[in-house]
Amino acid sequence: MNEQNFQSHEIRDRIVIQYKYTMGGQSKFFLELMNNKKILGTKCKKCGKVWMPPRINCSECFADTDWVEMPHTGIIKVSTIVWYTTSAFIQSVPYGIAFIQLDKADTGMLQGIFSENLVPSKVKKGQRVKAVFKKKEDREGKMTDFFFVPEDEYDSWIAKPQYEGGS
Amino acid sequence: MSKRRVAIIGVGITPFRARYLDKTYFELAYDATNLALDDTNKNGAQITHKDLESTVYGIYNELFERQFMPDIFINSYLGMNNKPGTRIASGGATGGYTVRMAYSEVASGLSDLCLCIGVEKCNDCYDEKTGTTTPEVLNAIAYSADMTYEYPMGMMAASSYVSMVNAHYEEFGNPTEEQMAYVSIKNHGNAKLNPKAQSPMDVTVEDVMYSRIICYPFKMLDCCLYSEASAALILASEQKVKELGIEKPIWITGVAAANTDCFIGNRESVGRLYSNIYAAKAAYKMAGLDYNKIKEQIDVAELHDAFSGQEVISYEELGFVPFGEGGPWIEKSFEKPGEGPWIDGELPCCPSGGLIGCGHAVGATGIMSTGEAALQLRQEAGKHQVKTIEKGRAIAHSIGGPGAAYAAVIVIANEEGLNKP
Repeated sequence: MNEQNFQSHEIRDRIVIQYKYTMGGQSKFFLELMNNKKILGTKCKKCGKVWMPPRINCSECFADTDWVEMPHTGIIKVSTIVWYTTSAFIQSVPYGIAFIQLDKADTGMLQGIFSENLVPSKVKKGQRVKAVFKKKEDREGKMTDFFFVPEDEYDSWIAKPQYEGGS
Repeated sequence: MSKRRVAIIGVGITPFRARYLDKTYFELAYDATNLALDDTNKNGAQITHKDLESTVYGIYNELFERQFMPDIFINSYLGMNNKPGTRIASGGATGGYTVRMAYSEVASGLSDLCLCIGVEKCNDCYDEKTGTTTPEVLNAIAYSADMTYEYPMGMMAASSYVSMVNAHYEEFGNPTEEQMAYVSIKNHGNAKLNPKAQSPMDVTVEDVMYSRIICYPFKMLDCCLYSEASAALILASEQKVKELGIEKPIWITGVAAANTDCFIGNRESVGRLYSNIYAAKAAYKMAGLDYNKIKEQIDVAELHDAFSGQEVISYEELGFVPFGEGGPWIEKSFEKPGEGPWIDGELPCCPSGGLIGCGHAVGATGIMSTGEAALQLRQEAGKHQVKTIEKGRAIAHSIGGPGAAYAAVIVIANEEGLNKP
């Protein structure tokens, strides 16, 4: 069909689904994060691999894992600074994200990397980082309850009224 | 039961556009199917949609289409009722995975004529708050990241891919920002020869370097644009090829895919697209080709250049050049005919313009790439036809998903390419 003076008709619509989503076997990670500022990984009972983010089963051995408390320090494996992004985050640019390997972990996890001076050289590979937490009343048992900062900025971040250090 | 030989006998690709206001996704799918039927019939065959025995649908994202299970609505619109139709959804690699599954339909003997069709229409997404489209498209894509550990950090496609590129740079000192810019020059430039491409452009290294920063170090001109389009292939068994008197069948000689760990932090090295390596090695092996000599064994490659730096890494992982030499390969061959991945180079990569030049209509993209590679081997690609088709073989590459976890590689050959060493 080849219509002359074609006129399109657009409708407004949105898809919204609400959830009360169980974290299942990983629930303890989020509860300990929210209640006690603890970062829990898991260790395979068979091969000893430390998973971070945690898995209650080792995907390599098909064995169960044990919970282990992780240090709050680690290094950046790779990072980027985001300047243009999704509608959900566009108000937050620029923001840093990094794959961080906690000390004693065998895998890296994605986390926000905050810095007073957010430039590539400040958040590059090998940078040592430390976890900073939201205050108890603001923690929700989500990954956004904490983030990482370069170790030399740790004291100034935990001095801010909205944040605190781990135990 | 042994595998049957499978040929591409029809290619149909709609123009890639920022937005079709005059088409829905199923209307676009109709157009591509019609074009593929016309292409099949141009030498006297007379098949219609009624002759197609099954369909494999490549559609990535329900949120784009505002329709979960969009395949069944296309099935109705194409008049394919009461025949099997299967949907594939594998992120950016949906197209390649769809070709693989359609190949399987025919190779297994389940069908003699199979429609392999991809479609995507993303730009109906719209963010009322900012009055723009792209951030909402990116949000629809971002739900493909892990929703618990990654989405809440503001992870999106570009920041996911850039992680591997940055880690690769840390390890090998390349690709540099300038080397990535050459991919943008090449693919936007090739797109000028392709009337179906969305982003034909003359750009310089400076243009790329000074374009808007997206996520360090990717700039706007390093990134493909999200596009709307449909692409269709008609696949046939050897018997059908003979029956229909197809003049230039393009045989699928290798199909392989690999899903690597979607959590980048779980990988042995962050600077690798392992899915590429496993898919390429398996596809070449199936086609009887050699990973270490592949650059000399094929005439053309349609790569998945969602981001410039990721095309550079793909040169290495698909076996064209050793690790760490992808960046120099494109940079040093600029304006040197017979060298590098340029359209007049030793192995032209993305003569169609690829994703950076054509746009990325996700489910359609890998099918467009495979179709474009087939047209090249038929010497019917048009203005962007590469000069020499002497080995008679080509590859099409798809990659996608969180951390580029999915990759598919398709090897195709014309009649001559089947027997050459």
